[in-house]
Amino acid sequence: MKLPHNVSQADFKAALREFANIVGDQWVYTSDEDLELYRDSYSILWGEADERTASAAVAPDNANQVVELVKIASRYRIPIYPIATGKNLGYGGSAPAIAGAVVLDLKRMNRIVEIDERHGYVVVEPGVSYFDLYNHIQEKGLKLWIDVPSPGWGSVMGNALDGGVGVTLAPYRNHFEAHCGVEVVLPNGRMMRSGMGAMPGAKTWQQFKPGFGPHVDGLFKQSNYGVVTKMGFWLMPAPENFVTGTVKVPKYRDLIALVDIIGKLEQSKIVQGLWNLSSPTTGTPPFAAHDAGAPPEPVDPAIEAILNDPAGVDMDRLDVTAQSKGLAFWACDFNFYGPEKLIKVQWECVCDAMRAIPGATFKLGAIRSLPLSPEDQAKTRDLGPFGIPTLKTFDLGPMFSYEGEDVVGHIFFSPVIPRTGEAAIEAMNLFAAIGRKYKLPGPPLQFPSTIFERAFLFAVGLPVTRSPAVNAKLRDIIRELVAVSAERGWGEYRTAPAFYDLIMGTYSYNDHALREFLETIKDAVDPNGIMSPGRYGIRSHHVR
Amino acid sequence: MITRRTFLGAGLAFTVAACTTAFGAIDLTARGREAQAIDTLLIDETIEIPGQMSLLAEANRQSLPVVGIQLDAASHAGLMNVLNKSQAIVGISSGATLFCLERMARDHGLRLTGRSQRCASDSGDDPCWRDVAALLNAAHPHAASPSPLVRAYRPSRGDGTLHIWTMQRYADPQFNHGRQEI
Repeated sequence: MKLPHNVSQADFKAALREFANIVGDQWVYTSDEDLELYRDSYSILWGEADERTASAAVAPDNANQVVELVKIASRYRIPIYPIATGKNLGYGGSAPAIAGAVVLDLKRMNRIVEIDERHGYVVVEPGVSYFDLYNHIQEKGLKLWIDVPSPGWGSVMGNALDGGVGVTLAPYRNHFEAHCGVEVVLPNGRMMRSGMGAMPGAKTWQQFKPGFGPHVDGLFKQSNYGVVTKMGFWLMPAPENFVTGTVKVPKYRDLIALVDIIGKLEQSKIVQGLWNLSSPTTGTPPFAAHDAGAPPEPVDPAIEAILNDPAGVDMDRLDVTAQSKGLAFWACDFNFYGPEKLIKVQWECVCDAMRAIPGATFKLGAIRSLPLSPEDQAKTRDLGPFGIPTLKTFDLGPMFSYEGEDVVGHIFFSPVIPRTGEAAIEAMNLFAAIGRKYKLPGPPLQFPSTIFERAFLFAVGLPVTRSPAVNAKLRDIIRELVAVSAERGWGEYRTAPAFYDLIMGTYSYNDHALREFLETIKDAVDPNGIMSPGRYGIRSHHVR
Repeated sequence: MITRRTFLGAGLAFTVAACTTAFGAIDLTARGREAQAIDTLLIDETIEIPGQMSLLAEANRQSLPVVGIQLDAASHAGLMNVLNKSQAIVGISSGATLFCLERMARDHGLRLTGRSQRCASDSGDDPCWRDVAALLNAAHPHAASPSPLVRAYRPSRGDGTLHIWTMQRYADPQFNHGRQEI
């Protein structure tokens, strides 16, 4: 039997017995076969001594059971690691942050507690997936949309607590920012509600985020201060129409003006839908699967030769060649939602602003009436912009082999960089050079994601194999990427457990004042250090 | 016509039986394992299925539910229903779809118990459809010692590769009964 760190076998067995008394024997998992399910399929430490595997798992049905389980864990000093649905692939999956922790599997807690069409919110338990919530809304015929990540099989709550994002309108894309109110079981077993929910019989828990006093909800994002058992989210009223408008600009360095202009349009709330960068010149598609348009055109052979130059892409030569062939360097797709007259005015505003860039061209697609018919859904490549969950992202293309090993998954390096064309160009070139240096699979250039309103996100997916030697090399590459980014003031917004400490270490202003503050809170609210030890680099005094 | 489909095994084991022909009468050798009836043939609608295999699926439709899936919202409820109610499933899918299905199935008390990976083609002697026929006849020759294969599952998403697989219920009650209503 695998044991948690510093826990005797007798204590562990006694704790498991008490867990079973709360949830029933069938919801306590200790066999190898069951625990195999809690391994991170994409672990970059797979099969190595440092792989973070669980000692057991326990699956409560409701928040009251969570309270009792946490009290037992605290009494026996058993580290527990809550997961919602455990689909956080690329960032840890179902596996704990430290080996030997007991996974608190919250999948059974899958109630949609409340949904309010009038005020546009929902309250969910951790086990509610995007598919669940979408289907519930459809079955009830509610005029509400959800904002889904890609893929959509994860937990609405879990995705938000891990910092997940979607692709519809800006106020809903950052899923944690779109939440309103949490219910959380603290490490001492006490249940707490935040915001207006702290008032018994509150009527505005999901309507007023700040509440009274400090806004503490953020303490439960990417942290280990409690088990969140309920969470409210603001939902988007179902829009009447959708359309994509495309602006193309001719030159590589037009990106600088393009980003500045869009920034003003977003800050003014004229552009609220996601916009995506792609390149007719390089054939680079928009970020991930989040476009609703057609696939990019094939790349011109002369362009391809420049792109595949082993010495790196000569951007000046590429720019000149593209212009000689009449190719625009950048295409920018804007998604618009709402009444047709509003969409047309927004598009006019975009065109007016973009005319400042010489040679810019404009094309508004056909306005699509919503909701999409089943036939339209079947024909649409990416349903994310329509708030419809799918798993199509897994079919994006063949996985590559790397260093002669099958690629079995990916791990993300996800730095946040300034929302300027200059920074985007610097990051593209920097990451492309490292990609070439290590012959990483992927396009010669990767473009930034525009999901966040005021900063760019790069989500560079690195391969994961089952070879310890190759994975060790990949870990070194990630360390290099993190280091060169930190030198430029670019920090990661999210990472896999293998890199929690590395990334937290880069947030080191004033001799790690932030980490020290977080650990001070940790010691105060979790003196026994039982709650998700090590998660996001926050450690209690026992294991620092 | 197959009148009874059975495959063997418990947990991760998938034992071998013998059959006289791909579509013929079944001669099962239980080897001490409990036999379970196959409830459903799941077919991934996002991939092109070779003609031989399509014919095979069609030929079995009268005695075995054939469920098409796309891993989208439209087919999600149907898939959940299959996963909740089935004791044993045979499937034909891409590797990417199998990767997702395997993880969803675990939440419903089903485990992958056998898997074959083939390059699909329409040749008359395609091993791909013979694998399906063998699984439907409980006579999969490659599943003689599947545990190491399945345990060391390596998702493969190579173009043109079909995965033919079986899943079997291991947990009762199921882990996930679907969404709860308040």
